[in-house]
Amino acid sequence: MTHDIWITVWVLGFASLAIRLFGFLLAQRLPQTGAWARGMEALPGCLIVALVALMILNSGQQEWIAGAVVLLIAAKTRNLPLSMAIGVAVVAFMRATLP
Amino acid sequence: MSRDPWSDIVLGARDMMPMALAAATYGTAFGLLAIQSEFSLAQTISMSALVFGGSAQLVALDQLVAGAGVAAAVLAGAALNIRILLITASMRAALTHRPWWQVMAGVYVATDASVALMQTAKQRGTLASYHYLFGGGLLLLLVWIAATTLGALLSQGIPNPKTYGLDFAIVAVFVALLPGLWRGRQDLAPWGIAAATVAAGTALFPDHAAWALVCGAVCGAVVAGLRHDA
Repeated sequence: MTHDIWITVWVLGFASLAIRLFGFLLAQRLPQTGAWARGMEALPGCLIVALVALMILNSGQQEWIAGAVVLLIAAKTRNLPLSMAIGVAVVAFMRATLP
Repeated sequence: MSRDPWSDIVLGARDMMPMALAAATYGTAFGLLAIQSEFSLAQTISMSALVFGGSAQLVALDQLVAGAGVAAAVLAGAALNIRILLITASMRAALTHRPWWQVMAGVYVATDASVALMQTAKQRGTLASYHYLFGGGLLLLLVWIAATTLGALLSQGIPNPKTYGLDFAIVAVFVALLPGLWRGRQDLAPWGIAAATVAAGTALFPDHAAWALVCGAVCGAVVAGLRHDA
């Protein structure tokens, strides 16, 4: 087992670095204007939307409510730490008080 | 962004603080779990330092514990880290024309949280510079390793983060990023497609959520690229 763990750690570590490097090398070879550029500009937003969609699918009603609160506060204040802190507090409060 | 590398590094590290806090709870949990899964301290810390992706590390660990073997563990972990390819791709502007060792260091510390940094810089009316992104990424890596070590050393007696809602911190960061990333009605179709692809993908292939995630992001970007092209 300990041998397997070391191999996994090193190979996965190397693979992760290769993936990270490949993303940049790929982007460098893409056209800087037109459809490719528009797609690349939209990519960070689409990735975060996909991450949030996955998290919504994997969580329950309390997290949905807290998520809606975070979205509202972030839209109003554009303050990341504040929105995060309130979201965590809302979840903690609901878990402590609701069955 | 200023022209002085050091002040950009410090600014990036400062702006990364909230994400580092969120990652710290996750990292502690990973350290705890790894030790309980018969990882040594050195193996636990090495994994956090080399793989630097919470979900990838957890999944690889899970596969090893389940006896699925090295190949399955590496494949599952790599699948989860594939999305970082999309992030280093969007860091193109900061990385081009840099010497190779700076490119390596820059991509090494790239994570989902790098999107948050790019967003914070944009709100200030500037583009995220190389040193800004590197400073933030380096802070996150150091906190990640420290938190993993803490979790591994304490291994017992850590209060359950769920009691304090701390497991929600990472979700909250991503949700809070959305209003800033929204560029107007043009984003409606790409975002809708991205979310719908993830929903459909996870419904059809529940065991391959990592691929649904990447497909969703790519499909959304493709829609954004193809529009107004007619």
